[in-house]
Amino acid sequence: MQTEEIREIISKYEDHSGRILGILEEIQDIEGYLKKDTLITISKELDVPLSQLYSLSTFYSFFNLRSLGRHVITVCMGTACHVKGASYILERLQELLDVQEGEVTEDGKFLLTTEDHSFSLNIARCFGCCSMAPVINIDGTIYGHISAKDLPEILKKYDWRE
Amino acid sequence: MKVISIEALNRIKEKGLKKLFPDKLRIAVGFATCGIAAGGDKIFAEFEKIIEERGMQVYFTQVGCIGYCKEEPLVNVTLHGKPLVIFNQVNKEDVPKIIDGLLKDEILGEKAFCKIEKWDHVTGGEIFYGEGFSHITNYTEIPYFKHQKKIVLRNAGLINPEDIEEYVAVGGYFSLFKAVRELTPEEVINEVKQSGLRGRGGAGFPTGLKWELTKKEKSEVKYVICNADEGDPGAYMNRNEMESDPHMIIEGMTIGGYSIGATKGYIYVRAEYPLAIKRLKKAISDAKKYGFLGKNIFGTEFSFDISLVKGAGAFVCGEETALIASIEGRLGMPSPRPPFPSQEGLWGKPTNINNVETWSNIPVIIKKGSSWFSKIGAEKNSGTKVFSLVGKVKNIGLVEVSLGTPLRKIVYDIGGGGTKGKSIKAVQTGGPSGGCIPTRLFDTPVDYEHLKEIGSIMGSGGIVVMDEDTCMVNIAKYFTEFTQHESCGKCVPCREGLKEASQILSAITEGKGEEDNIKRLKEIGETIKVTSLCGLGQTAPNPVLTTIRYFENEYEDHIIRKECKAKVCKNLINFYIIPEKCVGCMACSEKCPVGAINGEVKLVHTIDQEKCIKCGTCEAVCPLEAIIRVSKQSKNISKTYSG
Amino acid sequence: MGELVKIKINNNIYEAEKGEPVLKVAKREGIDIPSLCYHETLKPQGACRLCLVEVIEGKPRGITTSCTLLSVNGLEVMTDTPEVQKHRKIILEFYLAQAPGSQEIKRLAEKYGVTEVKPSKEIDPNDPLGGKCILCGLCVRVCDEIMGVNAISYIGRGNYTKINTPYFEKSEVCIGCKACADVCPTSAIQIEDINDKRVMKSWSKTEARLKRCERCGKYFAPNLLIKHTCKIYDELDKEVKNLCPDCRRKVLSKKVFISKKRIIIK
Repeated sequence: MQTEEIREIISKYEDHSGRILGILEEIQDIEGYLKKDTLITISKELDVPLSQLYSLSTFYSFFNLRSLGRHVITVCMGTACHVKGASYILERLQELLDVQEGEVTEDGKFLLTTEDHSFSLNIARCFGCCSMAPVINIDGTIYGHISAKDLPEILKKYDWRE
Repeated sequence: MKVISIEALNRIKEKGLKKLFPDKLRIAVGFATCGIAAGGDKIFAEFEKIIEERGMQVYFTQVGCIGYCKEEPLVNVTLHGKPLVIFNQVNKEDVPKIIDGLLKDEILGEKAFCKIEKWDHVTGGEIFYGEGFSHITNYTEIPYFKHQKKIVLRNAGLINPEDIEEYVAVGGYFSLFKAVRELTPEEVINEVKQSGLRGRGGAGFPTGLKWELTKKEKSEVKYVICNADEGDPGAYMNRNEMESDPHMIIEGMTIGGYSIGATKGYIYVRAEYPLAIKRLKKAISDAKKYGFLGKNIFGTEFSFDISLVKGAGAFVCGEETALIASIEGRLGMPSPRPPFPSQEGLWGKPTNINNVETWSNIPVIIKKGSSWFSKIGAEKNSGTKVFSLVGKVKNIGLVEVSLGTPLRKIVYDIGGGGTKGKSIKAVQTGGPSGGCIPTRLFDTPVDYEHLKEIGSIMGSGGIVVMDEDTCMVNIAKYFTEFTQHESCGKCVPCREGLKEASQILSAITEGKGEEDNIKRLKEIGETIKVTSLCGLGQTAPNPVLTTIRYFENEYEDHIIRKECKAKVCKNLINFYIIPEKCVGCMACSEKCPVGAINGEVKLVHTIDQEKCIKCGTCEAVCPLEAIIRVSKQSKNISKTYSG
Repeated sequence: MGELVKIKINNNIYEAEKGEPVLKVAKREGIDIPSLCYHETLKPQGACRLCLVEVIEGKPRGITTSCTLLSVNGLEVMTDTPEVQKHRKIILEFYLAQAPGSQEIKRLAEKYGVTEVKPSKEIDPNDPLGGKCILCGLCVRVCDEIMGVNAISYIGRGNYTKINTPYFEKSEVCIGCKACADVCPTSAIQIEDINDKRVMKSWSKTEARLKRCERCGKYFAPNLLIKHTCKIYDELDKEVKNLCPDCRRKVLSKKVFISKKRIIIK
């Protein structure tokens, strides 16, 4: 992202309250993830230490420091979904997508991306759609009452092949 | 456009009432997240299409969620002078039939769920729709609804959350008028104190007292914050409150700002709630246009503004000092108290933080008075509470009851009891900070003190129902892992203690439990509770400690007998195809991801336990329910299965 | 000097300033309360949870951290009750698990009665802090609040938390002041002067070039640190800036000696 664009985004946030989070979120919305160069520019423009921005990016689950796959699948791991078998769904997706074993990456964030970058698999702690548990979200569309057997058909809609 | 006088406000009210009671037909589709996810958007589009095709004169709009989430998509219909009718589980095919009936002034079809003849909007008084439609059940007769008392959810599902005039029509902003024009800040605080309202975020601190403490501080600048970082998995009350009736929160906060001496308010919403954010932003913008926010509200000296701050995925930011740090652009790490936010909060200034639902009650208290409010609920627990009733229960949704209502009533009378003929084993209240409550304690009244006594907490209001197929050790592991991942990492008992607890619980569920595990879990649980810096750590051991307290037998089963009676823990179970039921349809063997099922067409299939990864796909696809889970410990499988 | 109050620690009465942390009073009076994240120059954060005491009279009743417990009249605490001992032991067990490489933790654990029954965790050979970091946060706070440099920060969250430079790369802003290593309670931070560079081994091998003494040629302090100090104290003599401490002493004492003898040197 160009410095000009970043400056424009920053100028929208006059109030210091919520400013940094808001700017990072907006930039991530546009670029898909937080690039190092972008953080360096923001650090200069806001006169905020790079270490602080990096710290925030790794602390809050929402921020990605790595690019995501073309399609992002988020499995809700909320309580209502859990008692209805969400962990089975998650495991099944890991198998179907052939993403590496292991629950979390070294910075503690659960984000698995397929080798060909077609899919990223993520978890959320609750979307609030508990009446439709278990729930997964693919690219913003919510699928409720999911069971493991539905998964291949749903994934095929997103160009997944067995 | 700015409303200054009561006459002007009444004029807006009239405008709004004309939308709720137009001269023509009014159709409203439930448009909160649950409704949309259930297909409400497609239903909306279908209605829109047919209305246009037939050139109908309809006031067509969206409403929020009335709380019966399992019945979504819901559609409200108001025929002039007749009761409001709610249609449930509406699908595309139903739409033309419903419209056909409406064109004849009739309610047709099996999907007419209930009717509302009159409705108490509390701040707006009672609204009469009309009488009639004797063939449709009255809302007051529906078990799910009749035991509820709607005060916070007074408007949800009935008004368009994106139309400020409909909010005014049902009494909106009249309480703000009363507060800033007729009461002093001290009088407002006194009303809130007398009402007995306690913080609905979970801790239950007396709201009026909190306001008073913030008011006492001498500072030019003070802030008011709405904690909308509802992070408890399974709890979505606040989300509905924001999506279905955002203005009540704005009105509540503004009244709060007036009484405390603040001129600025912030709503901190978790980023996982995009629709709530959208609705709040619109509501703030509209409130500004009408002068309910901004300079010189209702022509007084009082000015107040509200901004939204989005969270970024950290459950710990629901803790007030972490929330403040987050707004300031710092890590969401809690700080020791004192100083409390009321003394040194946002940017070091006196700040009053309250939960969404707490703010939602304020306009009601100002309108109806503290005396009225304090008579609802139980002793020291005034008012109502909205709960999300989810899990293994028939009627899933949002339920609002008077505090002090016994758990049993909520789970059975309103919730309809268990599903699929299974018996209920426990409920979990208070999310990851709460505890599991066994059925034998279901006569416990739901209020702050009673729940604490039995080891749980009220929390923000999540009630998750668990049945015989739930493994309580697995539940303890689930919640402990949750809090472990959401721990901010600042203090060692929470950071390392929950890690050790998770490891022990994992080992137990994998059949590797050791004899002293229960003792160690209790020991570290106590230390984490007593020595953690903030509420997250202090309550994180509750699920483990309550499950040990009430379900120790399940722990012993796992540790000593390596058995999971609920058949959840994968390492302790096998999937088994019942030979007598299998017809050899090959549905399972085709779907098995590791080729662990052997069998030919029309011949009984068997599962190779060496290869089986326990994914559960076969169990899910078998059309004859011929695949069951058995304990690995079962010596004689066919004895285990006796039908 | 603020208002003076009387508090009781272990049944003895002590005078304290109103609002003074009980831990500070205890340290002054020689009463043993262990602590890891407390530093005189920084506002107490209550992060390490080791300075526990039991409040007998006053609020909050029960177990609390003494660094955040502020002195008021009538406050009474006990530092070594069975409750305190019980929780302190378990907290030290957590620290043993967290920082298996730390001798200081082992010493504290032994002192406060932790009998090590669990096998010690392995130290990750790739850990730049040698398995000694207890995440007390003093280094981060000193770099931020005292030095104003912000070279290091927390990374990640929960038990995945680490402390280091952004992206685990050499810092662009570190001035090599070593304040972090100085405040670290477990000596986890490794910094070494190698020839003309100060190498912050633990902080992704960040380097700070050292200044050479004009008089003796020894490398003595990082350029950036001198610059940083001079920004604050801009009246500093040229001699102080360009001479190592030894030479400085010699030159300045000569000045004093000579001036005492009333010979003015330009």
